[in-house]
Amino acid sequence: MADAAGSVAEPVGLELAEQFSSKDQQREAATLGMWAWLLTELLLFAGLFLCALVLRILYPASVTLATTHLKFWIGATNTAVLICSSFTMSGAIVTSRLGFRRLMLGCMLATAGLGSIFLLLKGFEYYQDYNEHMMPFLNMPYLLEKDTSSRLFVDVYYVTTGLHGLHLITGVSILLWLTWQASQPRFLEFHQNRIEVYGLYWHFIDLIWIIVFPVLYVLNR
Amino acid sequence: MSPSDAVLRDPGTPRITIDRPADYLHAEHTLRSWFFTTDHKRIALLYLASITGFFVLGAVAAGLIRLSLLVPNGQIFTNDTYNKLFTMHGVIMIWFFLIPSIPATFGNFLIPLMIGAKDLAFPKLNLLSWYIFMGGSLFAVVVLIVGGVDTGWTFYAPFSTTYSNTYVIPALLGVIVVGFSSILTGLNFVVTIHKMRCPGMTWFRMPIFVWTHYAVSLIFLLGTPVITMALILLVMERAFHIGVFDPRLGGDPVLFEHLFWFYSHPAVYIMVLPGMGVITELVAAFSQKRVFGYKFVAYASIGLASITFLVWGHHMFVNGQSQLASTVFSFLSFAVAVPSAVKVYNWTATIHKGAIRLDTPMLYAMGYIGLFVLGGLTGLFLATLAVDAHLHDTYFVVAHFHYIMVGGTMLAFLGGLHYWWPKFTGRMYPEAWGRVGAFLIFIGFNVTFFPQFILGYLGMPRRYHEYPPEFQLLNVLSSAGSTILAVGYLFPMVYLIWSLWFGKRAPANPWQAKGLEWTTTSPPPPHNFLRTPVVDYEPYDYAIKAREVG
Repeated sequence: MADAAGSVAEPVGLELAEQFSSKDQQREAATLGMWAWLLTELLLFAGLFLCALVLRILYPASVTLATTHLKFWIGATNTAVLICSSFTMSGAIVTSRLGFRRLMLGCMLATAGLGSIFLLLKGFEYYQDYNEHMMPFLNMPYLLEKDTSSRLFVDVYYVTTGLHGLHLITGVSILLWLTWQASQPRFLEFHQNRIEVYGLYWHFIDLIWIIVFPVLYVLNR
Repeated sequence: MSPSDAVLRDPGTPRITIDRPADYLHAEHTLRSWFFTTDHKRIALLYLASITGFFVLGAVAAGLIRLSLLVPNGQIFTNDTYNKLFTMHGVIMIWFFLIPSIPATFGNFLIPLMIGAKDLAFPKLNLLSWYIFMGGSLFAVVVLIVGGVDTGWTFYAPFSTTYSNTYVIPALLGVIVVGFSSILTGLNFVVTIHKMRCPGMTWFRMPIFVWTHYAVSLIFLLGTPVITMALILLVMERAFHIGVFDPRLGGDPVLFEHLFWFYSHPAVYIMVLPGMGVITELVAAFSQKRVFGYKFVAYASIGLASITFLVWGHHMFVNGQSQLASTVFSFLSFAVAVPSAVKVYNWTATIHKGAIRLDTPMLYAMGYIGLFVLGGLTGLFLATLAVDAHLHDTYFVVAHFHYIMVGGTMLAFLGGLHYWWPKFTGRMYPEAWGRVGAFLIFIGFNVTFFPQFILGYLGMPRRYHEYPPEFQLLNVLSSAGSTILAVGYLFPMVYLIWSLWFGKRAPANPWQAKGLEWTTTSPPPPHNFLRTPVVDYEPYDYAIKAREVG
């Protein structure tokens, strides 16, 4: 069977690890394991979201003032970039199930590329924040010096986006390593599952940003 | 003959002969086969050795605290040294001993055995958890001993972020890293319990031990990330002045207490629930009787794990929290007593009219039930708003906490250690020495901690090393008790190690107990069972049934 790109579908499967009694059991265990990990990750961020929302209720004026200094359009573009990357990751999963390895590798590289674009934009955003003196933790004047309550919100902004960025850096690194692995012969025959499990993680990083963006940038703007 | 006896008499089960089949301890002998093992049983023993080491260090710190409190004027150590000592005791005992104690050792060893699996779902991840644990804990322990930290195990801001002049950041990093090992262990247990049960092992055929570990794993997964985040924010504030908790930097110190206790109250149940699982196994085995109200005990475990996430505010009654919030938290804290009491009543009902044997594990179990009731009831005093205003931050809280943690978890740990020792090592411990040790620990514990209830009620605050001279008698009594307790702990340490070489060889099922772990050899073969077990009988199918007793 040949696909549009001209490559031939490869056999797709899983190597049974010794502790499992069937491949279905192994597949389900791996998926459940990743879901459990994502649940943990969600709670890692949940405290920060809660802080941001509580601050919005306690000091609405200060927080609104602080949000107007966040770069809304960079955040919006980044949201679009991550949604596209989730789309390409889904493409990688579907093509891996069908055994189209070259298409899958292309989708994975595209995903990693979009993730890197996000990081570059985010870095540029931090640089602009720096120029605007919106970094209260540095030894330099802070733009909203008189409004101490805004400071807490801005700090939460840096910790949240920083933690998310850290996840993205980890995510892109693992993805590139996985792409290298997947380019080895017979990868899909033994380890197709890894693409599926990794896909869950990537979608999660996207999902977290989709919560971060409204909570920090959009509400009460 | 009950159905699981049929499994025991199965001709497929090998008898113990001189040419034993290679068990997991003797399958390989190199150091490499220990440090790079993926066998859950060997990893459990790695954990057992490491947490025992941490326990000794934490106990030495406790001994020095009691030494200092012999005299009222604080002459023995300086203030700073005393602060560092109680921080060392708290951090080591809670983060590096109690939290991993039962789950990482017994849970690791027994969950696959009890549900008839060959291993945990992710054996390599399990080994990684141990390395993460050792990396974080050794680093923090070195910091605590060499440099010292004076914040207490709670790391309250803004003292920890701004004012303390000790090595707070390295200690925090150690604790954060160890948190990831808990998360990964919990993840492994959840997946294993969901997906690795042998044919016929339905949810309501699982031993209560497995149920409690399921509940604990949920707390690991849902609670630990929140403390990780809170501690990361502390590090951020201390290292980079990103203000979150210090008011001068725009932060809110009460926020830290919320985030901290959102995990650290559930953490109390991380320490208590596995002990409850152990006690349920001991009580059923040494009464030779089915667990009374099995389903209620199972549900009570999940109930405890759920309600425990809703009571963190009871640590904050006197910090300016609103009256309404305090009232709600107080009510919910009373609600926690219900599932706890369900368990206690079910244990006593299980013992009632059973065929009781008072071997060492059962002595520990009986001690546990009594001390847990005392610890639990004094917890209700503290959940009462008006009483808490008087008792907050006094020795009453210290005594309450130790009745749950030492009287509860530590006794369950020792009881379980004796009960499963034959399964772990293939050797029996000396019964007479075991009983003497159990009595010494029980007496020593009560002499140490009961006076602290009175001290707290009379108004002695915790974490001070100077006190009015009229409190000296009770303090001396408490310190004297701690020496008995220390001797009591030395007993099992000595005779259990002795038994590794000189103990009697253990049969597969020395206690005539039920449960899949007793249907395999002692010690088990590398993949636990020679054939995958099939379960077609109820849990705890002992000859005496609860309904026959009536």
